[in-house]
Amino acid sequence: MKDYRVLFEKKGISKYISHLDLNRCMLRAIRRSGLPAWYTEGFHPHLYLMFPLALSLGTESICEVMDFRLTEALPPEEILQKLNAALPEGLHAFAVREPHDQTQDICQAEYLVRLSGSALADLWDAFIHQPQILTQKRTKKGLKEMDIKSMLICESVIQESQELVLMLLLPAGNDGNLNVSVVTDAFQNFAGKPISVNAVCRMKIFCRNQKEFL
Amino acid sequence: MFPDKLKSYLLEVQKPSRYTGGEIGQVCKQKAEVRFAFCFPDIYDVGMSHLGMKILYSLINERKEYWCERVFAPWPDMENIMRREHILLYALESGEEIRNFDFIGFTLQYEMSYTNILNMLDLAGVPLFQKDRGEQIMPLVVAGGPCACNPEPLADFFDLFILGEGEEVNLELMDLYQKMRGHASRTEFLKAAAQIEGIYVPSLYEIQYHEDGTVKAILPHDGAPSHIRKRVMTDMNQCYYPEHVVIPFIEPIHDRISVEVLRGCIRGCRFCQAGFLYRPFREKSAGTVCQQAVTLCRNSGYDELSLSSLSTSDHSQIEQILDQLLVYTAEQHINLSLPSLRIDNFSKSVMEKVTTIRKSGLTFAPEAGTQRLRDVINKNVTEEEVMHTCQIAFEGGYTTVKLYFMMGLPTETDEDIKGIADLTQKVVNLFYDMPDRAKGKLQISISTATFVPKPFTPFEFEPQAEKSEILRKQAVLKKAIKSKKIKVSMHVSDISQMEAALARGDRRLCAVLYDAWKNGSHLDSWEEFFDASRWYEAFQKNQLDPAFYANRTRSYEEIMPWSHLDYMISRKFLIHENQKAHQAQTTAPCRETCAGCGANQCLGRPCF
Ligand code: SF4
Repeated sequence: MKDYRVLFEKKGISKYISHLDLNRCMLRAIRRSGLPAWYTEGFHPHLYLMFPLALSLGTESICEVMDFRLTEALPPEEILQKLNAALPEGLHAFAVREPHDQTQDICQAEYLVRLSGSALADLWDAFIHQPQILTQKRTKKGLKEMDIKSMLICESVIQESQELVLMLLLPAGNDGNLNVSVVTDAFQNFAGKPISVNAVCRMKIFCRNQKEFL
Repeated sequence: MFPDKLKSYLLEVQKPSRYTGGEIGQVCKQKAEVRFAFCFPDIYDVGMSHLGMKILYSLINERKEYWCERVFAPWPDMENIMRREHILLYALESGEEIRNFDFIGFTLQYEMSYTNILNMLDLAGVPLFQKDRGEQIMPLVVAGGPCACNPEPLADFFDLFILGEGEEVNLELMDLYQKMRGHASRTEFLKAAAQIEGIYVPSLYEIQYHEDGTVKAILPHDGAPSHIRKRVMTDMNQCYYPEHVVIPFIEPIHDRISVEVLRGCIRGCRFCQAGFLYRPFREKSAGTVCQQAVTLCRNSGYDELSLSSLSTSDHSQIEQILDQLLVYTAEQHINLSLPSLRIDNFSKSVMEKVTTIRKSGLTFAPEAGTQRLRDVINKNVTEEEVMHTCQIAFEGGYTTVKLYFMMGLPTETDEDIKGIADLTQKVVNLFYDMPDRAKGKLQISISTATFVPKPFTPFEFEPQAEKSEILRKQAVLKKAIKSKKIKVSMHVSDISQMEAALARGDRRLCAVLYDAWKNGSHLDSWEEFFDASRWYEAFQKNQLDPAFYANRTRSYEEIMPWSHLDYMISRKFLIHENQKAHQAQTTAPCRETCAGCGANQCLGRPCF
């Protein structure tokens, strides 16, 4: 029995697969791959599969993580090759390792965001330098007003000819999540006009002390 | 794939992967000579559960030069975007507009999906009426499936219908098309196609009516045959079955691998259209079933396998199949389910085999509350058998039982309705009389549906009960139920009258269907979208009465709108069965005695 952590990309049309559907999709892929997956004991055994950090529908990623267990140790290349042969378009595993960090260590994630517009840089600058950045956050009890200023770290801003390209660092994991859409919605409100979000891609997942989740 | 234009809207709709394609198992081709858009006239979640579509999709794609793709009805959120942004209905594999395909093929599974067909053709930018499609040979709009046994309410919209099982005839049709395209007009092609057995070209038939609105004559012209006979695959072990299926990202209604174990049914329940349409009874051997099941599980990765048919436990080797398969499924952590277990031959050993795999609620369909009425409908289940099965189930630890009944059956009285309550109460008592009953809380639920008489059944002559009558009977049932352990779910809707009218409708209903759609009807099988007033208005506008089709008794001599379609069930047999029904006489299952329906003529030997 051996635990493995697979890193994979979720790009192209696979970004339309919801988290719940991804779980089923991966289950079947592992079953198709012929890898000796480990099942839980008991009356209803199920394949052990765990995603430490969910990804929003519509967001691409180059750093997704999935943990599972095999009944025997296998060379990483073989795991990658078998798994990739069973994955649908857009999903691609690129690394296999032993899990190092724990799910609860996750605290931040980095996103590349592309907003449509040729002159948005000043507006964005004004937006993040407000004394407060108020948003409506949907909770179980309805809409809640929240100041996200302290949670939002903007690492870089580049105005390209048609797009404003942002690199954002946002809270993630068990202690609190901030969705990119909350930020972009707030920006739209601030701008007072619709700004379409062309693409969002998760680039990295971090533990405390800015260490990458491994 | 999907059109580029859609990209900016996909995140605005629910479950966007309904519209993207790209699933494991989909078939894409670089080039293809004949392109077939297989349209399921309901949403993706429903269509992707459908076994017939999986079979025919793979079958066509086995041919290198043919390419079959999938098309589903969009949910309203997506439809609004498509209409607003002028995006035409496309096929999921290529993302290309289906109006440029050679064939646009619909499967007719239930009557209330007919308006979806019109809506999909409209979304595709294809003229709805066959006569408006011109002499260009493509696209040909075709349909098959069980409701093709009376396709008259759709006759004006289709180039042709495919009767019976499609495994051979679909390819024959495509072969003919490939040969004739380039030099033949639409009409020329249709005339030639009408010569293929199982192909019905409605435009080659003139329908004359009596003054009272019944059919007077059905007159073929241009060399079309006077009767069109359904196609049957005679050897199920030789019959094509796919090794790969498309595996959806979202969870469809039935999320599992299905292996068809047999076709037809030996039972002859007089209300059940499928039981007659799919005759004769034909099985796959145990070896074939197991081999197909293992292949499909392995290729798909599914952990849910179902052995499907009208009545799986009637397979002569069912225990052998289960014994063999259970070894494999246990080892591979696969759930095996038998969705069509029958109450009467639910043996203890089969039961034990199934319970080792999964323990959920049991569903039974006694269909009628008294023995007399069960004899009328030829549902050969006795009260002892119901009790016996429930006892086994309770002993096996089941505490949830669902019972299905019909209301408005021919000859039904209030005694029969009260019988539903009595029978259910006996099941409750049975549970509490068991000394070593399971700990769980007993839950018995009854669900009732309004009976809809269908073509090619012994009840095709019968009137459907009026809504007021059904409402009254529901009140009778509610009053008769005493125990709090029994939950009843009944609802009455005008849907069943529309279903009954369309099921036995004639060609004049094409105009009604069109107007109902124009009035905004579609997704009618979804309760939240059905609006009876749109239908009643459409009937009124065309000076037709739904009751004429749904609630009228037809004489044995009447020419039915489907009288020229030959499903190998003789009229003589249907009349005889109808008479026996009115005398509450049963007919034995085919395996015991042949009742002489005529279906064995395709085999050229007795069925058993
Ligand atoms: S021919 Fe006889 S055995 Fe065959 S389906 Fe008809 S009634 Fe049943």
